[in-house]
Amino acid sequence: MNSDDEYSDEDHGDSYRLANSPSSYMTCVESDEDTCTEIDLPERPKRPIEIDEFAYTVLTADQIVQHQRNIIDEVNNVLHLSPQVTRIILNHYKWDKETLFERYFESSPQEFFHRAHVVNPFATPSKHSLKSSATTTTTGKPREQLCGICYCPCEELKGLACGHAFCAACWKQYLANKTCSEGLAHSITCPAADCDILVDDVSFVRLADDAEVTARYQQLITNTFVECNSLMRWCPAPSCTHAIKVSYCEPRAVRCSCGHEFCFGCGENWHEPVSCSWLKRWLKKNNEDSETSNWIAQHTKECPKCNVTIEKDGGCNHMVCKNPSCRYDFCWVCLGSWEPHGSSWYSCNRYDEEEGKQARQAQERYRSSMARYLHYYNRYMNHMLSMRMEHKLYANVQAKMTDMQENMSWIEVQFLKEAVDVLCQCRATLMYSYVFAFYLRNNNQKIIFEDNQRDMEMATEKISECLEREITVQNLYEVKQKVLDLSHYCRKRRTVLLVHVREGYEKDWWDFIE
Amino acid sequence: MANMAVSRIKREFKEVMRSEEIVQCSIKIELINDSWTELRGEIAGPPDTPYEGGKFVLEIKVPETYPFNPPKVRFMTRIWHPNISSVTGAICLDILKDNWAAAMTLRTVLLSLQALLAAAEPDDPQDAVVAYQFKDKHDLFLLTARHWTNAYAGGPHTFPDCDSKIQRLKDMGIDEHDARAVLSKENWNLEKATECLFS
Repeated sequence: MNSDDEYSDEDHGDSYRLANSPSSYMTCVESDEDTCTEIDLPERPKRPIEIDEFAYTVLTADQIVQHQRNIIDEVNNVLHLSPQVTRIILNHYKWDKETLFERYFESSPQEFFHRAHVVNPFATPSKHSLKSSATTTTTGKPREQLCGICYCPCEELKGLACGHAFCAACWKQYLANKTCSEGLAHSITCPAADCDILVDDVSFVRLADDAEVTARYQQLITNTFVECNSLMRWCPAPSCTHAIKVSYCEPRAVRCSCGHEFCFGCGENWHEPVSCSWLKRWLKKNNEDSETSNWIAQHTKECPKCNVTIEKDGGCNHMVCKNPSCRYDFCWVCLGSWEPHGSSWYSCNRYDEEEGKQARQAQERYRSSMARYLHYYNRYMNHMLSMRMEHKLYANVQAKMTDMQENMSWIEVQFLKEAVDVLCQCRATLMYSYVFAFYLRNNNQKIIFEDNQRDMEMATEKISECLEREITVQNLYEVKQKVLDLSHYCRKRRTVLLVHVREGYEKDWWDFIE
Repeated sequence: MANMAVSRIKREFKEVMRSEEIVQCSIKIELINDSWTELRGEIAGPPDTPYEGGKFVLEIKVPETYPFNPPKVRFMTRIWHPNISSVTGAICLDILKDNWAAAMTLRTVLLSLQALLAAAEPDDPQDAVVAYQFKDKHDLFLLTARHWTNAYAGGPHTFPDCDSKIQRLKDMGIDEHDARAVLSKENWNLEKATECLFS
């Protein structure tokens, strides 16, 4: 719906555009929400909270590699270092050019390079001559070419700029071990003791000398690049290898070229109006099944003797444990043995009066909070399930569109598919609106929000019913007008709800229940 | 076992055998079996520490991926030290974990452990009880460490007061090692130790 929009360089305010394949470089904009500016509300002036466009790009694995090179080149325009050294330094500063330059200009070169764990390239070259770290043995013999890892005399030793050298076989095994077993890439240091100089990518390829290990290494450095870069995020869809790049980090909807739409802030499905942190709490609450354990805590007690969990299903307080090996007789109220109760029941009752009152209050509190949670949870789940069903609707609609094309052109029947798009969007928004409402304390704005929610829900149900039942080929033109009206109305209701919530965030109307 | 680890250990052996520390008897390495995977190390307690005069035996297990991964080392001799478990002998030392470098050797490990005995790091403890005593009741810590060195590592200093308290607990049917551990933990307060044992 929006991935076809091509934008020029100026539009995303970013100077790194991929040189090799500009056409595969997509710029997506939340075009479906452009309609917000059309909303005309009689009592209010035009809303100050506008849904501005959020520019982002979808990158393939190759483009990510290229993107890294571009950043390195940019930094090198200033630093004039070898690309592999710049890469290490950039990685040290989490690919934040500004911090890097700041540190570069405010600290001494010695300190700057030391902090990034690279050898100062401007230092005197005498330190760079290769030396074997194992020649310090106390043999008293003249220095021989001993590899410091395998302790074998070797013909040729290789190493990094720090000067520690080891034989080719040891390097190979060392790097393979670090990459494949320990999953390290950028943080592999020289194997010498007390040397924290990092292995750069060019040296890695030279020393690892193995296609498989190098491929794994490339994968790892790309991964760390995306993960430590706050302006990038992997698409969370299964087996999707794309990443999204934005120009500033914000929880906004992004759509990958694989079709998956998600929140850039947290990686979950797009969840407006609820914020990332509240959604996280909600999902945790649902997953934890904490309500089940609460129920168990409220409605059951443990047998005082064998600790089996018991639910009371009758009025009598004389409990007999059903556990065949226990069969304990006890009082449900005081959990004491039943034996003295035959004569002294009243004392049990008196003793428990205060406690019983507390228990009743606790139970009432619990019941109302449980009911509240279930109210929101049921509606959340209901919209989620409906949304899943609506995906089946796409197939039905597709068939109808084919039928209709006997009377109408292809372009004229597209309205149906678009209506299903709107329906799915509304379902998602409704679903998350219940999470938002669950954590919201009552106030006047919440009442307005709930009114908006109700209107939107009604509109959504109408279009859902219409798409599911009323479409036949006979009344084509009537139906088209109806569907168009309904989907326009739905979209409008959705925008009203979202704009109101955004305004609330801006003006601090929302009071959340911690 | 991988060839490289074996050949490397063999070569290291020669190095340790010829090193000055061997001549001075401050470190030692022995083979346990012929597979070169298990070794026994020994370090002398450094001078001017409560461990002076003691010989501490170490269990060294060489992994197949040695020297790319560190050897597994623990104290066989019981020792009272903030960075070494008084129960298991497990060691908290950076070079045996993340800071291991492939170019390090058994010799560097033994020397580092010796240095650890001389300079404990109570802020990064393995044994919290010992670390607490080290920081809060340092005199008692020195006494306890010396006593343990005497009892387990052949150190020269004897402490009749400690021995008599241990004897009291032994008379109640407590194992000597347990009695020593509990008394050390309770700062040699016999009453508290008894309470701890029998509650």
